[in-house]
Amino acid sequence: MRDTADILAAIRSRFPRVENRPVDPAPSLVVEPEKLREHLLFLRDQLSFHHLVFLTALDRPAESELELVYRLFSYESRLSVMVRFRVPRDAGRVPTVSDLFRTAEWHERETAELFGLEFTGHPDPRRLLLPDDLEGYPLRKDFTHPNMPRLPEVTST
Amino acid sequence: MSDPTTPTGGRASPATAQASAGTSDEFLLNVGPQHPATHGVLRVVVTMDGEVVKDLQPHLGYVHRGLEKLFENRTYEQIIPFTDRTDYLSAIANNWAYVMAVEKLLGMEVPKKVEYIRVLMAELNRINSHLLWLAAYGLDMGAFTPFLYAFRDREEINTMIEEASGGRLTTNYFRIGGFIHDLPPAFFPRLKKFLGRFGRAVDELDTLLVENAIFVARTRGVGIISRERAISYGMSGPCLRASDAPLDLRREAPYSIYGSLEFEIPAGRNGDTWDRSWVRIEEMRQSLRILRQAMDGFPEGEHRVRAPRNIEPPAGEVYSAVEGPRGEVGFYVVSDGTRKPYRVKMRKPSFSNFSALPEIMRGLKIADLVAVMGSLDLVVPEIDR
Repeated sequence: MRDTADILAAIRSRFPRVENRPVDPAPSLVVEPEKLREHLLFLRDQLSFHHLVFLTALDRPAESELELVYRLFSYESRLSVMVRFRVPRDAGRVPTVSDLFRTAEWHERETAELFGLEFTGHPDPRRLLLPDDLEGYPLRKDFTHPNMPRLPEVTST
Repeated sequence: MSDPTTPTGGRASPATAQASAGTSDEFLLNVGPQHPATHGVLRVVVTMDGEVVKDLQPHLGYVHRGLEKLFENRTYEQIIPFTDRTDYLSAIANNWAYVMAVEKLLGMEVPKKVEYIRVLMAELNRINSHLLWLAAYGLDMGAFTPFLYAFRDREEINTMIEEASGGRLTTNYFRIGGFIHDLPPAFFPRLKKFLGRFGRAVDELDTLLVENAIFVARTRGVGIISRERAISYGMSGPCLRASDAPLDLRREAPYSIYGSLEFEIPAGRNGDTWDRSWVRIEEMRQSLRILRQAMDGFPEGEHRVRAPRNIEPPAGEVYSAVEGPRGEVGFYVVSDGTRKPYRVKMRKPSFSNFSALPEIMRGLKIADLVAVMGSLDLVVPEIDR
């Protein structure tokens, strides 16, 4: 594996139809949620992407979807790759990858409570950072809370 | 053992041992959220069998401030001071990772001099953070003297950082495209004096704490994690490098001028508590080498690019990471083309490093908990964010 093009070629030989929307120099693969584990396993074992840098979500209220984002780094080839897909905003379900990357366990707990998602098969689906009695999902764009002061709007000067 | 069902009776306050229902010798010990060894508001519940740790359950969120939510309603410039406050011991690394992400979004090149000041500040900050770790860890382990030595040296660095930025911990020095001020004239004479003296001071600290026989007895072979497991837990920084993994973003994904500087990446052999300590001592020595090179090659020029007053990066997303004192400090910034970011995700080293604690601690004695937790060099506000 020398550069990003080689990585992409290797991925394409295994998953011919995967779409790439590059982010900075890293490829960003759009996959189907059901194929997530298959993709990450392939990236980890065949292309040595052992380091899951982070995983998180983006709220897309206009499409009523949540976009999941995973970033991997390979210490062997020193390259990065991102994997992304969308799930419905209501009752979004994502297969857990906490058995493939141990660090995903906490990242998934955090993403679940902040965005309102379910990671199916997660070994410990409790909340991680938020208090147990908080209602709603803070990182969704429409979240409000009585104690959350409305900040003054920034206007261009 | 007192009765846990009567919270006010006997010794069954939350901070002391509680008998759990079920098996005879097993009981729960609650450590934190206010405990000197947690260095912040952190809580772990330890399941113990006698004095052996069977399992350990971290409880987080005591200082969760919802920063990522706050960022969505701030302009790009207004976010910089918040990044200081996620990790008060490496404000520089956090500033840097964030402004680098925004500069990447803008496609902005910064002058050579800015890169040099950034490296100087980041390495001073690294030494500063490692010194505080050493001081606090020494206290945890019952060694008071290294604390005084480390704080003497820290004061010099804090003075240099304060003269440049106006702040000692939360510096808020970086701006998109450079710095708020140029380095003051007194900076290089001070740095020169510091570099001339600090090499010996590191040797001193090394013998005082890390080579100390009692310290070695408490840390050697304790709290081992293998290279594979450490990477799987997303560990980074000295905690990863101790496990025979010379992996450092300054080498693996060179940013700024690190590609042209000469330094070594120290790595431990066993991945134990002692190795994690030794790696930090060695890193201070390497930081000195980097500081010398950056001082010698320091170029003339501007200390900033004139960035537009209203920063509106084009729609897109970017991830940028720097090697902070604790490991990979990363910012994932998504822009929708307005003055405020659509989403900012902070990837913090302590979060991943801490997540490995239950696995490291299983099977060890309770007395090792302080030694292992201290060696991970946790900063709680960056775990909770």
